[in-house]
Amino acid sequence: MRAFEYTTPSTIQQAVSALGADSRALAGGTDLLTLMKAHIAAPERLVNVKMLLPRGIEARPEGLEIGALTTLAEIEQHPVIAAGYSALAQAAALAASPQIRNLATIGGNLLQRPRCWYYRNARIDCWLKGGADCPAREGENRNHAILGGGPCYAVHPSDLAAALLAFDAALWVHGRGGERAIELADFFALPAPERRTETVLSPDELVLKLRLPPHPEETRSGYLKAMDRKAWAFALAGVACVLRLSGRKIAHARIVLSGVAPIPWRARAAERELQGAMASPDRFAAAAAAAVQEAVPLRHNGYKLPLTKALVRQALTALTDPACK
Amino acid sequence: MITRLEGADKVTGRARYAADVRLPGLLHAHIVRSPYPHARIRHIDASRAERLPGVHAVLSSANSPSIPWHDASSLFDRTVRYIGDEVAAVAADSDELAADAARLIDVQYEALAFDLVGEAREPKAEARGDVARGLREADVVLEATYRTQTALHNALEPHGCTALWHGDQLTVYESTQGIFAVRDEVAEKLGLAAQNVRIITEHMGGGFGAKQIAWKHTVIAALLAQRTGRPVQLALDRASENLAAGNRNATEQRLRLGAKRDGTLSAIDARIRVEAGAYSVGGEDSDVIGTYLTLYRCANVRAEQRSLRTNAGPAVAFRAPGYAEGNFALESAIDELAARLGIDALELRLRNYATRDQREDKPYTAPESLRRCITRVAAACEWRHQRPGLGFAAHDWAAGGGWPPAEAEVEFAHGAARVIVGVQDVGTGSRTALAQLAAAELGIGVERVQVELGDTQPGLYGPTSAGSATLATLGPVVQEAARLAKKSGHARAQRGENPKGKSIRTCGAQAVELAVDRDTGEVTVKRVIAAHDCGRIVNPLLQSSQVIGGITQALGYALSEKRIVDARLGDVLNANLEEYKLPTVADIPEIVNASESMPDAEANATGVKGCGEPPIIPTAAAIANAIYSATGVRIRELPITREKLIR
Repeated sequence: MRAFEYTTPSTIQQAVSALGADSRALAGGTDLLTLMKAHIAAPERLVNVKMLLPRGIEARPEGLEIGALTTLAEIEQHPVIAAGYSALAQAAALAASPQIRNLATIGGNLLQRPRCWYYRNARIDCWLKGGADCPAREGENRNHAILGGGPCYAVHPSDLAAALLAFDAALWVHGRGGERAIELADFFALPAPERRTETVLSPDELVLKLRLPPHPEETRSGYLKAMDRKAWAFALAGVACVLRLSGRKIAHARIVLSGVAPIPWRARAAERELQGAMASPDRFAAAAAAAVQEAVPLRHNGYKLPLTKALVRQALTALTDPACK
Repeated sequence: MITRLEGADKVTGRARYAADVRLPGLLHAHIVRSPYPHARIRHIDASRAERLPGVHAVLSSANSPSIPWHDASSLFDRTVRYIGDEVAAVAADSDELAADAARLIDVQYEALAFDLVGEAREPKAEARGDVARGLREADVVLEATYRTQTALHNALEPHGCTALWHGDQLTVYESTQGIFAVRDEVAEKLGLAAQNVRIITEHMGGGFGAKQIAWKHTVIAALLAQRTGRPVQLALDRASENLAAGNRNATEQRLRLGAKRDGTLSAIDARIRVEAGAYSVGGEDSDVIGTYLTLYRCANVRAEQRSLRTNAGPAVAFRAPGYAEGNFALESAIDELAARLGIDALELRLRNYATRDQREDKPYTAPESLRRCITRVAAACEWRHQRPGLGFAAHDWAAGGGWPPAEAEVEFAHGAARVIVGVQDVGTGSRTALAQLAAAELGIGVERVQVELGDTQPGLYGPTSAGSATLATLGPVVQEAARLAKKSGHARAQRGENPKGKSIRTCGAQAVELAVDRDTGEVTVKRVIAAHDCGRIVNPLLQSSQVIGGITQALGYALSEKRIVDARLGDVLNANLEEYKLPTVADIPEIVNASESMPDAEANATGVKGCGEPPIIPTAAAIANAIYSATGVRIRELPITREKLIR
C-alpha cells in the first residue's frame, strides 16, 4: 500500500483545510481502506474525522436528523426509524453483514464507490478509473446498469441511499466556504467525463448530517432487495417505496431503485402512474412497467427488467395490503 | 457424545495452523504473479525491490535454479500461462513490506495470444456392450446437454507454509492433506533425500482436494529460507488462492440415455469436455465418467471425457472430483427420463441401481446399502411423486474404503495410550475417530488416548487425505496396533490388503424441499434430507459435520458459486469472497441427517468407510430436480441463478 500521512484535526474547519484532491476523509473505513488495499485509491493523506462529525439520530420538529457518523447498525436499530421510516430500517438491515454495519457510517455509505468487478480489479483499466472505455459494456455485465448507463455501467452500491431518496432527504455538507444544504436528489449525479464520481461533493467537502423531512403518520414505506444469496451481497435490484394512502387512493408515491443504475434511480414515471390513482394490481403493474420503460439492458443483465418490475409490484402490494400498517 | 479432541484448542485459538508459526527472525514472503493470461517474460529488474530496507531476498527466473514443474514448465517459467502464474517472490520483514516490494519488481512481458476455450485432447474413454444397439432397442431415448461451472474451493485457511533449515535439514509447517506427498515432492524438487525434509501439519482449516498436492509456494519458501538463512513464511492471500491454487473443472456433458418402457436402462452414452486450465498439476484428473459407468446397472455404456487446456488457473481435485459434476448431469437426466417414462423418479432408481461394480466386474461389499439410503431418505421426506418443490438424487462414490499402505504405532502403559500415525487431520476429526477406535480396543476412555499425527518425522507412513479414505485406511491399522499393544505394551501394525474379489464403494441419497418465486427467480431451499452409507459410524457428531459441510458446499455449487472470467481479458473477475458467492448461514436450510450406521464387515475389521466427499455429490441434482418439480422448468446448467428462472 502507498505510504500516507494520517492526521487527526480537532475542528471541522481544520479537517476541511486538510482535505483536497490527494486527501480523503476516514470514518468507518469499510470502503476506503479496501480501495487502498486493492490499489484502486492511493491518497497521500487520510484525515481522521471519526471524532469530529455528528453521530446519532434526533427527531426534531423540522424532521429527522442523522449525523454523518451514525452507523448502519444504529440506523437499523433505532426505534423512531423502525416505526416511521421502515424502508430505511429495512435497507440498513439488508446491507452488508452485521460486522460491516457496526463500523460503516451513513456518510461513507452515500460516498462509497461502485462494486463493479472491473473497477475493483487493479489489473483492469476502466473508464471510471480514468481509462478510455468501460469493459463491462461488452463484458461480464450481469450485475451492471440497465438505467443511466454509459460511459460507466457500474451500479450504485448503496441500499440506504434509495430509501433516503424516497424520503426526500437533504444533506448538510461543510466546505471551505462553510456549510451548505443540498437535496440528496441533486447530490447524486451520473459520472461524467469531467467528474468520474457518483456525487457532486467536492474533494474538500465533508458530509455533516442528513435530514428527512417530517411526514404524516399514515406514510408507509418498505425496501425490497434481490441478491445472489440470502444475505451479505450487493443488490442485483432493489426498490425503496414510500406511499401515503387516502382510503384506497394513492396521495403520495416515491419509487427509488437501487442496483440498476450508476446512481440511486428515482422512477418518476412509475410515481406518475401511482399519484392520485386507486391502489390496484393493474395500477401496480403499470407502475412497475413504467419504472423500467427506459431501461436498456446489456447482454447479461436483461433479467433485471422483470426482476425490478416484480420488486416494484411486490413492494406496492405489500404496502397497500389493508392488513399492513 | 464424544466431541473433537482438539475442539477446545480450536475455539480458544490455541490450535496452531501453518501461518500461526512464530519463529525468531521469521521473514514473510509474497509471490509476484502474472497479470497476463499468456506472455513471455522479456526482462525482470528487481533492483528497486532489493534496495527497499527490510527486503532480504528476491527470487525469479533471473537468479534461481530452473526446477522442472508442471508439464514441461519450471518453477519460475519464462512463459506465463494464466493470470496468477508465479513470476517471482520476495522475502521481507513483514507481509506488507513483502507485498510492497513485489510491486516494485519491474517485469517486462511480451503478451501472447491466449485461449480460454481450449482444444480437446485425446479422450479418456471406457465402454461396455453396444451403445448403438442399446439406443436402438430403447423405447425412450433422452438426449440432453448439461453444463457445470468452474468452482473455487475457498477453504477457510488458504494455502501456506513456514519453512526453516537446520544445516541441510528442511522443516516445513504446511497446510496440506498429504504430509508425505509434500515431503517427497519438495525433496525431489530441491534434490534432497526424503529423510532430510520434515513436514508438519498440526491443524488445518480445510483443503477439499486443493491441498492434496505439493504446490510451488512450499519450494519457494524453502528456497527463500535457504537464501536468507532465516525462517520464511508464505501464506497465500484470498485473491491468489482463488487465482492460482486450483479449482473444480467446468464440464460440458452430452448425454443420451435409453430405457425400456418398464424403466430398464438399455444405454448410457456420455461425451464430456472438461476445462483443465493451464497445467496438469497432478490430482486434477477428475473422473467425470466414473459415475456413468457404475451407478446404474446397464449393459451398454460408453463414457468419454476430453480435457481442454486453457489459459486459466489450473484445475485440481475438489471434494468428490468428477462425481459432483457427473452426478448433476446423470441424476438430472434420470429424473427427466422418469418423467418421459411416467415412472416415479425414485422407483426408476430402485429398479436400476447397481449391486456390483461394473467397471471392475466385482460385487460390492455392501450391495444393498444404496437401497437402504434411498428408502431412508424417502421415509424421512415422506416422498410423494410430483409433490411440488421436492426433488431427489442418488449417488455413488468410487472410494471411501481405504487401502494400503499405512502404518501405526501404539504404546500402552498404566491405562493410557499413545497412538502415532503419519496422517494429518484435515479438519474432519481423524484425530478423534482414531482415538476412539484405539480406546475401544484397549478398553479405556478416549481421554486416556493421545494421538500424535501430522508429522513425517516418526517415519510412520500415512496416505494423503483423499478419497474419503483416511479412517478406513488408518482405522484398521490403529485397531490392530492397539490389539497387539494391549498384550505387549508397544506395537506397530501395517494396513492389510482389502478383500479380493469384492469392490468397496460408498453411496447415498438426498432429497431437497424448496420454493421458487418465478417473479423474482429466487430459490429458497427449505430442507435437505440425506442418508449416506459410510459403513460403521464411529462418531455421529463428526459424521454429521461432514454431511452438513458437504451439503453446504453443494448449495453454493448448485445455486450461487461460479468463477467468472472475462473472455477478452482472460482475468478472473471474482477472485474474492465478495463476488464469489459462497452460501451464508442465511442460505443454509434445515439439514436432516438420516444416515444410519451400516458396518461393512467385509470392507475391513472396523466396518468403517469414509464420508468426507459423498455429501457434496447428489445435492445439485436434487436441487435441479426439485426446481423442475416446483416450476416445470428444467435447468441443465449450474449454478442455478435467478436469471435462469425469472419469468
